[in-house]
Amino acid sequence: MKKKLAVILAASTMAASLAACGGSGSSGGTEAAGTAGNKETTAQTGGGAPAQEAGGEGLLTVAWWGNQTRNERTQAALDKYSELNPGVSFDGQFSEWSDYWNKLATAAAGHSLPDVLQMDYAYLDQYVTNNLLVDLTPYIEDGTLNVDDCSQDIIGSGSVGGKVYSIPIGINAPAMVYNKTITAQAGVEIKDNMTLDEFVEVSKKIYQETGCKTNMAYGVSQEILQAMIRGYDGHVLFDNGKLGVDSAEEFIPFFKVYEEGVKEGWYIEPGVFAELTPGSIEQDPLVYGSSPETMSWVAFCWSNQFAAFNNAAPEGMELDLTTWPSKDPKLSNFLKPAQLFSVSVDSKDPVTGARLIDYWTNSLDCNQILLAERGVPISSKVAEELAPSLSESDQKVISFINEVVTPNSSQINPPYPNGSSEVSDLINKLEEKVCYGELTAEEAAEQLFTEGNKIMAEKAK
Amino acid sequence: MNLFKKAMSRESTAGIIFTLPFTVGFLLFMIVPMGISLYYSFCKYDILSPPVFTGLENFRTMFADETFYKSIKVTFFFAFVSVPLRLIFALLVAMLLLKTTKMTGFYRAAYYLPSIIGGSVAVAILWKRMFATDGVINKLLQAVGIDCKFSWLGDTKTAIWVLIILAVWQFGSSMLIFLSSLKQIPMSLYEAANVDGANGISKFFKITLPLLTPTIFFNLVMQMINGFLAFTQSYIITQGKPMNSTLFYTVYMYQQSFEFYNTGYGAALAWVMLAIIGLITLLLFATKKFWVYEGGL
Repeated sequence: MKKKLAVILAASTMAASLAACGGSGSSGGTEAAGTAGNKETTAQTGGGAPAQEAGGEGLLTVAWWGNQTRNERTQAALDKYSELNPGVSFDGQFSEWSDYWNKLATAAAGHSLPDVLQMDYAYLDQYVTNNLLVDLTPYIEDGTLNVDDCSQDIIGSGSVGGKVYSIPIGINAPAMVYNKTITAQAGVEIKDNMTLDEFVEVSKKIYQETGCKTNMAYGVSQEILQAMIRGYDGHVLFDNGKLGVDSAEEFIPFFKVYEEGVKEGWYIEPGVFAELTPGSIEQDPLVYGSSPETMSWVAFCWSNQFAAFNNAAPEGMELDLTTWPSKDPKLSNFLKPAQLFSVSVDSKDPVTGARLIDYWTNSLDCNQILLAERGVPISSKVAEELAPSLSESDQKVISFINEVVTPNSSQINPPYPNGSSEVSDLINKLEEKVCYGELTAEEAAEQLFTEGNKIMAEKAK
Repeated sequence: MNLFKKAMSRESTAGIIFTLPFTVGFLLFMIVPMGISLYYSFCKYDILSPPVFTGLENFRTMFADETFYKSIKVTFFFAFVSVPLRLIFALLVAMLLLKTTKMTGFYRAAYYLPSIIGGSVAVAILWKRMFATDGVINKLLQAVGIDCKFSWLGDTKTAIWVLIILAVWQFGSSMLIFLSSLKQIPMSLYEAANVDGANGISKFFKITLPLLTPTIFFNLVMQMINGFLAFTQSYIITQGKPMNSTLFYTVYMYQQSFEFYNTGYGAALAWVMLAIIGLITLLLFATKKFWVYEGGL
C-alpha cells in the first residue's frame, strides 16, 4: 500500500512538474520565440485556434534589427495591418544588429526562422545559397506583391541569380553626419564629396580650434574601408575567394588616419571606445559624452540613421550630413537598397508574408507610420505622397539622396561572399593595434592583405 | 494487469519515476547536445549549411591560431589570479564573521549577496560604468585629491584587473562553506593551544589552516572550474577588448561559433577547454596528498 502510494505520488509530482514546465514555457514564449522563432509561437496559438491557420491567416512572426524609434514605428505599422486585415496578427521581434544575426542563424539551423524577416545586403547571398528564403518572383507575377512603382535597379539589387528574394524597404546612402555647431565654431566649411586628405585637414583644424576630436567609426569601420577601396578604379574589397585589391598599398591611407590621428591627438583615444557599445547611435561619440576629448565632431553612418542621431543629440546641437571622404567620391558613393525584407522558407503562410511586404512597399498608411525611418521608400509614388508629412531632417535626407548622392555615385558592390565578417573583424582588430601604437599603418595594411586573402580563400573552399 | 501491478509496486519503479524529470532533462539537454557538439568539432559547419566532415582539420587550425593561445593565456591569468584572491578574501571575511554578535546574520547575508547578483548582466553593466573615465571610481579618486582621468577599461594592462576585481567580489559562496567548516573545528584544540601559550598567529597556522585544507581544496577545485568558464564579465564589459587583453576562452569560442560562423571550430575549442579543465582538476587532485589533511580530528 505504501509503495503504491509512493508511485502515485511520484507520478503526480512528475505530472505537476511537467505541467509547470508547460506553463512557464508558454508564458516565457515571447522570449523563447526570440531565439526559437515562429514554429513555437505558431504551435502555441495553433493549439488554441486551429481554425485560424486553415484560412491562411493567423499569427506571423516578423523580425528586424534596429533602434527604439524603429521598433515603435514598425510595431505600430504591423498593428495597423492587423486592423485592416482582421484575423492576421503579428509577433514583432527586434534586437540589436549583432544579436539579430546570431538569433537568425540559430533559428535557421532549427528550421524555425521568422515568417518575415529583415535581411541585409551583407547576408543575402549566404541565406539564398542555403535555400532559406522564398523566391518572391511568383508573387510579383501574380500581383500579390506590386512593384510597378519601383525602379527595376532597386528590385534587381534584392535579387540573386535573377530571382527576387527580398524587397528593400528604403534607399540609403553612406552618410557622414557632423556637428554643425562645432564646425561653425571652428570656422570650417564641410563640402560634399570631400577627399580623405581634406577630411584629415578639417579634423585637425577643428581639434585646434575647439578641442573636439574625430571618430571614423572605430571598431565598426569595415564599410568605410570598402567605400575607400571602391575609389581605386572601383575595386571590390570582398571579392570571391580573395580581397579585390591590387596591393596592400590601397589600405595604407585608411590606417594612416588612425595612426596619425592618435599620435597627433586629434583622434579620440582608443580607450574611450572601451566604455561604449560600438555601432550604437545613442552611445556614438558624436552625441554621447561630456568633454571634448571624448567626443567627435563627426559620425560615419547611413543616411537613414540621421533621424536617430537627431533624436539622440543633446539640445542645441545642430547636425548635418554629407558624403564619406574618399580618393574618388564618385566611384565610392553608392545607393544602398537598405533593410531588405524577405519571407523565410519556414513560413507556413508565405502569401501573407508577401502581402505584408506589398503593404510595406505600397501603402501610404503604412509609410506614414514608418516615416522613412528605414530610408527613402522605393515606390516613387509613395515617396512623393509621403514627402509633405516628413520632418525637416527626413526631408534633408531625401534631398541628400536625390541631389547629392544619386548624380554622383556608382553601382553598389555585389552581396558579400562568405568570409567577409571574419575579415571585417580583422580590419577592426588591426585598426585597434594601430591606435594602440603596436603597428604602423604600413604593417597593418600588409597584415590585412596577407591574412585577409588567406581567410577569403579558406572560406571559398 | 497483475504484471503491471507488480511492476508498479517494485521499489525501483518509484525511484525511476521520481528521477525521471531529471534524467530526461539530463539526457536531452546535456548528453545529446554534447554528442552533437563532439561530432561538429570534426566538421566544417557554419550553422546555415549542413556540416561537412573534415576530420582533425579544426584541431590543426587551432594549434596555428594565435588568438587561441592568447585567449588561453588570458583565461589562465584570470583563473590563477582571481581564484586564490577570492579564496583568501572569503576566508578572511569568514573568520571575521565567526564571532557571534547581534549583527552577524545581517553581515553574512550582506556579504553573500554579491555571489547571487554578481554574475548578472546588470552588475556587469554597472561595473562597466563604475570604471569608466567619468565613472564612480575616478570620481572618488578625484574627491580624495588624486586627479585621475584614467581609462581603466581602455588600457591593456588594467582592463583584466577590472574583471578580476568583479570576480573576487563574488566571494560569498566560498565564504559560507569556509564559515561552516570553521565552526566544526573543536574548541578543545584552541583551548589546549592556549594552555601551551600559543598566540593567535600560530593558532591560525597550526590549527585552523590545516583543518581547513579539505574545504580549501574543495573550494579551489570548484572555483577553478568556474574561473575557466567565466563568460559574462568579459562578454558584457569588454568584449575581449582592448587588443584581446580580456578575451576569455569562452568568449573566443562564442565569437568563432556565432560571429564568424565557424561553429565546427567553436565546438572543437569547447572540447579542448573540457580537456584543459579536466587536466587541471586532475593535477589538483594529484597534489592533494601533499597538502590536504584528511585525518580525523
